[in-house]
Amino acid sequence: MRIIYERSGGFMGLKSSLTIDLDELPLDQAEALRTLLGEANLISLSEDPPARSIPDGFQYSLTIESEEVKHTVFTSDVTMPASLRPLIDELSQLARMRRH
Amino acid sequence: MHTNHSIFCIIPPYMLREIVQNGSETQRVAALQALYSSEQMRGQRRVVKSIADIMAEAVPAGNKQRAIYNANNGSQLPGTLVRTEGSPPSMDPAVNEAYDGSGVTYDLFFNAYGRNSLDNNGMKIDSTVHYLKGYDNAFWDGNQIVYGDGDEDLPVANRLFNRFTIALDVIGHELTHGVTQFEANLAYWDQSGALNESMSDVFGSLAKQYQRNQSADQADWIIGEGLFTSNVNGVGIRSMKAPGTAYDDPVLGKDPQPAHMKDYVSTIDDNGGVHINSGIPNRAFYVTALELGGFAWEKAGRIWYKTLTDKLQERSTFQQACDLTFAAAGEIFGTNSLEQQAVRKGWDAVGISVSGATPSGCLTAVLNSFGLT
Repeated sequence: MRIIYERSGGFMGLKSSLTIDLDELPLDQAEALRTLLGEANLISLSEDPPARSIPDGFQYSLTIESEEVKHTVFTSDVTMPASLRPLIDELSQLARMRRH
Repeated sequence: MHTNHSIFCIIPPYMLREIVQNGSETQRVAALQALYSSEQMRGQRRVVKSIADIMAEAVPAGNKQRAIYNANNGSQLPGTLVRTEGSPPSMDPAVNEAYDGSGVTYDLFFNAYGRNSLDNNGMKIDSTVHYLKGYDNAFWDGNQIVYGDGDEDLPVANRLFNRFTIALDVIGHELTHGVTQFEANLAYWDQSGALNESMSDVFGSLAKQYQRNQSADQADWIIGEGLFTSNVNGVGIRSMKAPGTAYDDPVLGKDPQPAHMKDYVSTIDDNGGVHINSGIPNRAFYVTALELGGFAWEKAGRIWYKTLTDKLQERSTFQQACDLTFAAAGEIFGTNSLEQQAVRKGWDAVGISVSGATPSGCLTAVLNSFGLT
């Protein structure tokens, strides 16, 4: 399964993105992400287009993709469901670590 | 008090509200009691609510009310209250920067334009620091400002961003989003969104110039100076003087701002490039301010402030901003004044010409209609 994370907007208007293939990750990292994915229950969240942005707010797009399913969710820091927060925070950290 | 009551009972509510806002302390208390009891008798919840609003708003003009909260690296807003108006400085620099920076921005708007806070009605200014962990951003959520710590949790060698309170113009930028929300309410996408962004950069930069007592030619016109660590090849996030030149870095890429209408960027990212195309009106302001000389908040800032508060509308375009700043300059300083000419020069420099019912424009139209041009 692949996770595609994209973040745009913000004070700088810079885009940041990250694609993770869970099958290529070390087992413990993949397991940790699978747990967060399970908690987020992404499939249950609506695929509505992104809502109007607040000034300088980040906009996130999160896609999970496998042979059986493809599902994309748009969210922001102020509208994010609590169940999604740990997953988005983890992916944001991973994207930040990989930018170098 | 009871005699006061009976007097106030025959005074119409709108006058009581005036007294609440402008009367002495004793008069205010009596008027509030009168208002409250009369509304209670009528049982009108709507009006009772409006009394609460009046009490919240009944702050003397020019009396800032700031509150700083700490999100403790979580996402809950506003977080824990850590500093209020008049309380002593904190040990936490982010708290003090948010407090001082919102104070300077308040002072600029009040002293230069007579504006009493974001809503021009004494609204309390709330800020939250330490939002999330490793959060490279600051934003205005419609009610308050929120600041991240940048990369201050990383080893120094890996940091790109410092905490977002470090730059006064970033604070001024965010607060101006609040002012815009209460005024033109420019829709946050495409050209109206880029104008919204530009207004925030304009008054953010003016807050910094005001605090430093710098004239237009002394100012650096950089937005977010100090936000990048020394690991980034750049002087700041944006340059109003030379859009597109603020940074050029192997990790962050190059500053994408255009400085001229011919380089306008059409994109679906960033709400249609609101942080990108703002370079165009930013430079128009810079050229106008430099042309006028002196303190930029006094003339150019006043023209832009009048345009933001009296003229621009939700879906205004760059062309309309050009025409409306030109009209505002004419109203404040006179038709064909040096100030109005400076505005025309500012927009000319970015490839946007004043249109509409200007004398020269009318003449051109008449000549055109007779085939004389």
